[in-house]
Amino acid sequence: MSKLNSADVVIVGTGVVGVAIAEQLLDAGISVLMLEAGPRVDRAEVVENFRNLPLARKGDPSSCYPPKPWAPHPMPSLETPDDSYLQLTGPDKYAQTFIRYAGGSTWHWAGTSWRLTPQDMRLQSEFGVGRDWAFDYATLEPYYARTEHLLGICGPADPALQWPPADMGTPRSRPYPMPPLPFGPGEERFTEVVAGLGYKNIPTSQARNSGMPYDDRPACCASNNCVPVCPVGAKYDAATALSRLESKGATIAANAVVYKVEANAANRIEAVHYLDPDKRSHRIAGRLFVLACNGIETPKLLLMSKNDRNPNGLANSSDQVGRNMMDHPQLTMTLTLDEPYWAGVGPVVNSGIMETSQGAFRSEHAGAYFRFNNFARNRFVTFAALNKGLVGKALDAEIRRMTACTADVVLAHEVLPDPDNRLTLSDKKDWHGLPKPAIHYDVGDYTRKSAEVYSVPIGKRIAQAMGATDMKIATKFAQSKHIMGGTIMGLDPRNSVVDAECRAHDHENLFLPGGGAMASTACGNSTITMVSLGLRAADAIVRQLRGA
Amino acid sequence: MKTCFVFLRALVLLACSSAAYSQGFDAVTVARGQYLATASDCIACHTAHKGVPMAGGLVMASPVGDIVSTNITPSREHGIGNYTEQQFSDALRKGVRADGQPLYPAMPYVSYAAMTDADVHALYAYFMQGVPAVDKAVPPTELPFPMNVRASMKLWNALFLDESPLKPAPERSPQWLRGRYLAEGAAHCGTCHTPRGFLMQEKKELNMAGAQVGPWYAPNITPDGATGIGGWSEAELVQYLRGGRVEGKAQAAGSMAEAITHSFSQLDEADLQAIAHYVKTLPAIEKAEDGAGKAERFGQGKPGNALGELRGKGYQEGMQGAYLGAQVYSANCAACHGVNGEGTPDGYYPSLFHNSATFGKTNLIASILYGVDRKTGDGHVFMPPFGDQPNAVNHLSDDEVAALANYVQVRFGGGAPTVKVEDVAESRAGGPQSHLLPLARIGMGAAVLGLIALLAFVLLRRRARGGRP
Repeated sequence: MSKLNSADVVIVGTGVVGVAIAEQLLDAGISVLMLEAGPRVDRAEVVENFRNLPLARKGDPSSCYPPKPWAPHPMPSLETPDDSYLQLTGPDKYAQTFIRYAGGSTWHWAGTSWRLTPQDMRLQSEFGVGRDWAFDYATLEPYYARTEHLLGICGPADPALQWPPADMGTPRSRPYPMPPLPFGPGEERFTEVVAGLGYKNIPTSQARNSGMPYDDRPACCASNNCVPVCPVGAKYDAATALSRLESKGATIAANAVVYKVEANAANRIEAVHYLDPDKRSHRIAGRLFVLACNGIETPKLLLMSKNDRNPNGLANSSDQVGRNMMDHPQLTMTLTLDEPYWAGVGPVVNSGIMETSQGAFRSEHAGAYFRFNNFARNRFVTFAALNKGLVGKALDAEIRRMTACTADVVLAHEVLPDPDNRLTLSDKKDWHGLPKPAIHYDVGDYTRKSAEVYSVPIGKRIAQAMGATDMKIATKFAQSKHIMGGTIMGLDPRNSVVDAECRAHDHENLFLPGGGAMASTACGNSTITMVSLGLRAADAIVRQLRGA
Repeated sequence: MKTCFVFLRALVLLACSSAAYSQGFDAVTVARGQYLATASDCIACHTAHKGVPMAGGLVMASPVGDIVSTNITPSREHGIGNYTEQQFSDALRKGVRADGQPLYPAMPYVSYAAMTDADVHALYAYFMQGVPAVDKAVPPTELPFPMNVRASMKLWNALFLDESPLKPAPERSPQWLRGRYLAEGAAHCGTCHTPRGFLMQEKKELNMAGAQVGPWYAPNITPDGATGIGGWSEAELVQYLRGGRVEGKAQAAGSMAEAITHSFSQLDEADLQAIAHYVKTLPAIEKAEDGAGKAERFGQGKPGNALGELRGKGYQEGMQGAYLGAQVYSANCAACHGVNGEGTPDGYYPSLFHNSATFGKTNLIASILYGVDRKTGDGHVFMPPFGDQPNAVNHLSDDEVAALANYVQVRFGGGAPTVKVEDVAESRAGGPQSHLLPLARIGMGAAVLGLIALLAFVLLRRRARGGRP
């Protein structure tokens, strides 16, 4: 077999999890072939796509990533119900965005990297809700530290400002590789204001080079453009690592849409099959396979790969593939303030109140994380100013005033794993004739109750303390685009898809690492946990191949 | 042959096992040696990227092929642990290894020859006692024929190595003498800034007048008004050596950034002042970078952009049209250097106008392809590369770099586009290759005759001129 159609390990997906795993394997001398459904583009092109967008579309982070016909992904500001990629049903819409490009969705993540807490991983034992993880925080901690150094996550050295806080009995095995970024004026003021209410607004640990180069990437230049794309690669995104992987020997094939995972009679995976843009099929063999396509594409691919031996799809003897779809349901408060806050100095997310995500109340309702959004406001307020009929200097002045004196505060909630929140294969087909994902979703009473009795009341107090003269609170939960669940982890193969190392219970040479494996969401962004699970899987893969 | 050599070395090692380690040097001497090693910037060449200091292994492109720096830690097996002080001195000042083989003049022994016995002694003390031994071999340098014949360097040394000490200059101030000692000796400024002749020797008559160093151009640092540093004050020179940047004039990249990171930024203020003072007294030579005009290279250009030609048309169209350079600038440079090339008020991202780097073409191309990496007390300045490197923000083609460089020259530099696609290809390949190699291969016989004639000529002329400055 030639190098191009087999490898020791075949990784489907070139997002942050696939890339992190690939590098560990390459460094261990294991050959790696990566398959990416979408195109491989230059950062320069994405940056200019963004700059050429009309203002009305700049607020949609997907806008500068037009999908190729063969690798569709959600395009909220363009698609119609007829041609939308995700087929959504249920009381809440699981309206995710993700990017099928080489480098994956970290292209447009904010870089926010909150660790879970020990209690976040023991919801069933501590509060009688949700699921416990298959291992404890102490097991995950070294992987968090590795992730922080691999991605270059900056954060505070002061334990009082770290998350989780030191008093949770969670000593860090290594300091952050870089100090936190300084607060902008809006964050400074927000921190003062919430301190008056007894809340601590702490620096966001984030995958961004804080005032210094790291990992041969430059320092943050504070363009406030982290979402939808860092123009200089100061924010870690997986696209920054692709050339490095190739220099270490990886083969990366773009525009290769994997549509079938092939299992043999013993239920070992033999190959994956992909379609190229000419709709020709190719078979890629390997010793071990990793599906790193996150919580929508991975379960979709498993369900599509059903065979006689696995009539409900691969890895699905538990019937849990595609179930327990989770996210961080969020409500945004848009405030008009009587003093200038000047959001937008520095990165787009730079601080947050995390302590409100924890507490005994979690037996009753979800916790919440509050953040002052630090996106520069002019992009969002310009239309409001235009709609007032202003022109010329008056228009400029109003845009300036609203840019300074408005703010978004986001309330991000946890959600429980619910098997009825479920991804299935739609009857509707994409360009290749492959089924689109259909997802039914309801954030559930646990989260709704939080909004009623906990998060929104706190949010209103914060808004009042900030001096809000006008407050608009979203009435429906929006999605945070933190895809979790779908291939949930557990020790019992009867009610979970993967084991504690993200290995499919049903297939010993198939790994499904990433957000799909997460057994709880907590309130903080999921990527750091996804990558940590990926590194843990990589260790297991190296051991497994060396033992073979 | 090689095995035999290794065996012999092992025998010698056994026989001389009492050489270096048993000597006890006092802490003051070792500390002075460390300072001199900093001033000599040994670490820049003798440390691989992210490697252990002084353990060698850095691959350096030279016009005649790649040279791998050696392990100069006191490892007995792989370093210089068995060197006697005399052998160390000979390597440093005569370019001769302990085994008698000549070094390639990539090692600046031509400059180090000016160092005093006392300073060489201190350096020896530091290397034997202050540097941790690293027992790790580095790959040997394997230059193509005939450069692999090290013996040819003996002839080169006979031609170009001046072992005499610096000329007495009793009329000069102690500061000037100190500046000359450092600039011509340890700091080996001329290694990069003095143009080289046909046989890669420094052309002493053009001392410090600017020269090509790999893909970079080490500019004219004689006090010529337009093409040199005549318009710089001594204080500005000190600021540059300390921090790598003088706003409105220049910033250090390439091997000068390394020299500032590892050496100048850590030297005593008085020594930097002495170097600045001496450099300002060099004979002024009017010599511009090839292809650059003779206008003052620091004050050119003005802010501006061509975005009106691009916006709304789409990236692919921009990359094909007459505004390729503007499109590449917008997509790759504007986020840091500003849409109008103005940089940032704190100067971390320099303005592209009023900047010598955008006046000529060599350093403009090299900055784009190779980036900038400089660490000083002022912080770590890092511009990512845009060449073939794994960490390039974007991998720009020769056409794209040429268009970008010309856009920058026209907008922010001297006003005329001077960059050709071939210039970019040459820079990408590591800079101009020496004509020496093909010529030597074509006509070894003729070359030998020529060398003998040249030898006679230079020896005669040197006698007439009386040696080093």
